[in-house]
Amino acid sequence: MPLPTQTALERQYSLLGLMLIAPTVMVFCAVIVYPLISAIYLSLFQIYTPTLQGSWVGLDNYKVLLAKGEFWTSLKNNLIWTVGTLTLQIVFGVLMALVLHQNIWFRSLARSLILFPYFISTVVAVLVWRWLFNDLYGIMNHLMMMAGLIDFPIDYLGSMPNAMISVILVGAWKYFPFVVIAVLARLQTIPDALYEAARIDGAGPIARFFDVTLPQLRDVLVVIIMLRAIWDFKEFDLIFLLTGGGPVIATQTLPLLVYKEAFALNQMGMAAAYAVVMMAIMLVFMIVYIRRTRDKDA
Amino acid sequence: MIRRILFNLMAWGIVLAVAFPLFWMLVTSVKPQFELFRRPPTMLPETVTFEHYWRLISQTNFLTYFRNSVVLSLSTTFVVVGIATLGAYSLVRFRYRGRESLAFLVLFTYLLPSVVLIIPLYLMLVSLGLSNTIFSLVIAYTTFALPYALWLLRSFMAGIPEDLESAALVDGASRLGAFKDVILPQLLPGIISTALFTFILSWNEYLYALVLVNSDSARPLTTGVMNMLISSFNIEWSLLMAASVMMSVPLIIVFAFLQSYLTRGFGAGGVKG
Amino acid sequence: MADVLFSNVRKAFGSFVAVDDLNLSIEQGEFVSLLGPSGCGKTTTLRMLAGLEFPTSGEIRIGDRVVNDVEPGKRDIAMVFQSYALYPHMTVGKNIAYPLKKRGVPRAEREQMVAKAAEMLQLTPLLDRKPRQLSGGQQQRVALGRALVRDPKVFLLDEPLSNLDAKLRGYMRAELVELHARLGRTMVYVTHDQLEAMTMSDRIAIMLDGKLQQFAPPQEVYRAPANRFVAGFIGTPSMNLMDGALRQEGGVWVFEAPGLSLTVDALSDAAQAGPAALGARPEHVTLGAGPLRGVVQVVEQTGHENIVTVRLTDEIRLIGRLPGTQHLRMGETIAVGIDAQACHIFGPGASGTRLNLDELAMSERRAQAAR
Repeated sequence: MPLPTQTALERQYSLLGLMLIAPTVMVFCAVIVYPLISAIYLSLFQIYTPTLQGSWVGLDNYKVLLAKGEFWTSLKNNLIWTVGTLTLQIVFGVLMALVLHQNIWFRSLARSLILFPYFISTVVAVLVWRWLFNDLYGIMNHLMMMAGLIDFPIDYLGSMPNAMISVILVGAWKYFPFVVIAVLARLQTIPDALYEAARIDGAGPIARFFDVTLPQLRDVLVVIIMLRAIWDFKEFDLIFLLTGGGPVIATQTLPLLVYKEAFALNQMGMAAAYAVVMMAIMLVFMIVYIRRTRDKDA
Repeated sequence: MIRRILFNLMAWGIVLAVAFPLFWMLVTSVKPQFELFRRPPTMLPETVTFEHYWRLISQTNFLTYFRNSVVLSLSTTFVVVGIATLGAYSLVRFRYRGRESLAFLVLFTYLLPSVVLIIPLYLMLVSLGLSNTIFSLVIAYTTFALPYALWLLRSFMAGIPEDLESAALVDGASRLGAFKDVILPQLLPGIISTALFTFILSWNEYLYALVLVNSDSARPLTTGVMNMLISSFNIEWSLLMAASVMMSVPLIIVFAFLQSYLTRGFGAGGVKG
Repeated sequence: MADVLFSNVRKAFGSFVAVDDLNLSIEQGEFVSLLGPSGCGKTTTLRMLAGLEFPTSGEIRIGDRVVNDVEPGKRDIAMVFQSYALYPHMTVGKNIAYPLKKRGVPRAEREQMVAKAAEMLQLTPLLDRKPRQLSGGQQQRVALGRALVRDPKVFLLDEPLSNLDAKLRGYMRAELVELHARLGRTMVYVTHDQLEAMTMSDRIAIMLDGKLQQFAPPQEVYRAPANRFVAGFIGTPSMNLMDGALRQEGGVWVFEAPGLSLTVDALSDAAQAGPAALGARPEHVTLGAGPLRGVVQVVEQTGHENIVTVRLTDEIRLIGRLPGTQHLRMGETIAVGIDAQACHIFGPGASGTRLNLDELAMSERRAQAAR
């Protein structure tokens, strides 16, 4: 809507602006806003997926889910997965960025190789890792035995805690390049003068990292951590394809639970309730991130 | 000097370890079936064969899936980048009521989990009779690709000096004329970058494809290849690895020729710090 | 006839008022500078004239047309931006030709006009280059070329010289003055550099906090600044300003500050006893003679002259000028005088109005006294 105090020309511009944004708004309403609202609405029904017959149950779905052990187990799994994989991504990502920031041989090739896992399809990543993890012919078991770390082949995905550890490791492998690129970009903007000054003041390499590099990285790290936390929390493909949530429900996170409820157990209403609760939990991170980004903009 | 060499060796050791799974994928895909089950495994194939690739193309639905994925990803990219370019221009360079809230909504949906939208979307597309079509996936992919593209393009757009547009206006261009003559050429690298990201995102998507499509004629690569794993009686890893390599071909092309656009997109995607 | 007219123009961004009740009438062919510190509203004023900002209220005219609702491209103006705003993807030739193309000038004619403009600005050998291959000075000339190629009614220049080095800036100042004389077009020039404003303008509009402070020819701005802000802003080194009080003593006004008492004549009727400020240009401070004593604090040599800062009391310091051949040592105690005839008296406050009579009124009063 044009603002009230505008001149005719300004109003004309505003109208043009509105016309340009109109396709976006229409698509948003149709495929995002409307589904989002109906997800909340659906969570108040009991719906059987094959027939799509529904009956109003009010907040019953929520009462049931909060009383169910499976919800809490999945939430716990979700947190373990998120914290575990995020920590590895950050630590390994920052270290790798520091290494790649140095002048190593064939640096751009090294960078491409590091970056690649992030862009390949999760399906490809999972297929490769399942082959690596194969209990009989997988190279993982072979290498581990050769190194003397294990005495006989182990089951990486079918038993606990192996399954959770494997999922976290594969997640870290797939997503740490994001951290590398973001940190690397920031490292390149730290003025050399800061390092010069620190060196003149007698700081060694370790002191220089903690006194110069880390404070400079602080802002970008906060943003990366929030963004990755949100994305890791809602990760579906990787876990679903690696373990399917198993063994039993030992690696089942909330997105998997939503999927299972809706399309395996055919309880759409219940699934919608899970999804809404999950979104509410994520909302905390999302609001923090959005606040931060907007402050930056202003 | 020795320290430098040691550091390089260590760095490359890590890089190669990270890249090892991909190397192993490539190696497995060209090993003959019998060599696969050799113990200990051979690091480099003793015999190189392309029989798995041949079988993939001639005896499976792989080519259909590939074609579906190409159609699907290209359509999504065109639709989304087209809409988002206009939208980003409007969000950055025009003033009207509701603009701020809209920008907020874009950022919010950029972070929104797919599983929240998937149930209503599924119901909506089924009731419209669109399920099991590539078109239904284009609609579904818009839900994550459009906010993403808008967010990237908004940031690229903000990087174009406002004076350029002002100069074009004073020189006699209309708003849309200035957009076409001055802004679009400046935005081109950003558009390419966004298009690449959108394409890769669509190419790799799995969940919507799993839920919305269950016929081979409309199935994209992700679910198609995964189906080959689940449905076969004994898993043929060489074949799957060959499929994985083929699936990554567009990506390898992008990496070889357009990598700088990918790195640029990272900067625009809200991780500027 | 007024070529550009602002009537009661006001521009607010939310609660921030960028331009407040501006009235400005610029004559045809005049070179007018909008001068003021950053944030004073000068650029907003120019952008409103260009149609890039929209007035909250009031009316803007170009020629006999109200342009409030006219698109920038249809206002018959050309503008040079501080950043030059050259189109990076077009060659120099295409940049200069763009405004012609947008106005539907046929190609052959277009090429002729571009060639002519390029020749005038010595850009002919650069026509096929891209802007990023040019030096700052060359880019500046291209921006000028793009503005003057189509002979608009009014030229708008937004700090066009601020990104050039000092030497080039001096050269371009002269170029612009010559260009203005040759084209005879109205030019509105935004700057924060008083030297540019003083040397180039027919009239200067000085702004502060969105308000017009004075609109007058350079000499008048210098000799009869409308208020204390203008007095302090114009002139290098700036005018000596001292806070004190006015007192009437037997029909004449006396200005008093600690350690200083000065009889000033010819104040307007607005003068009141009470707080006031005295202003004296450095050239009206005499060093080495006069009733006051001061200690030489700083001597800045510019070659042609020496700028001397003298401390009278702890609060009062005066700046004076001496020819470069005359020298003073720091710490030396000298006699100091202030030319009371040439002093300015300002009302209270940071932008107190000047209370001296203008020259016309003064001569009238003198004539009366002689009779």
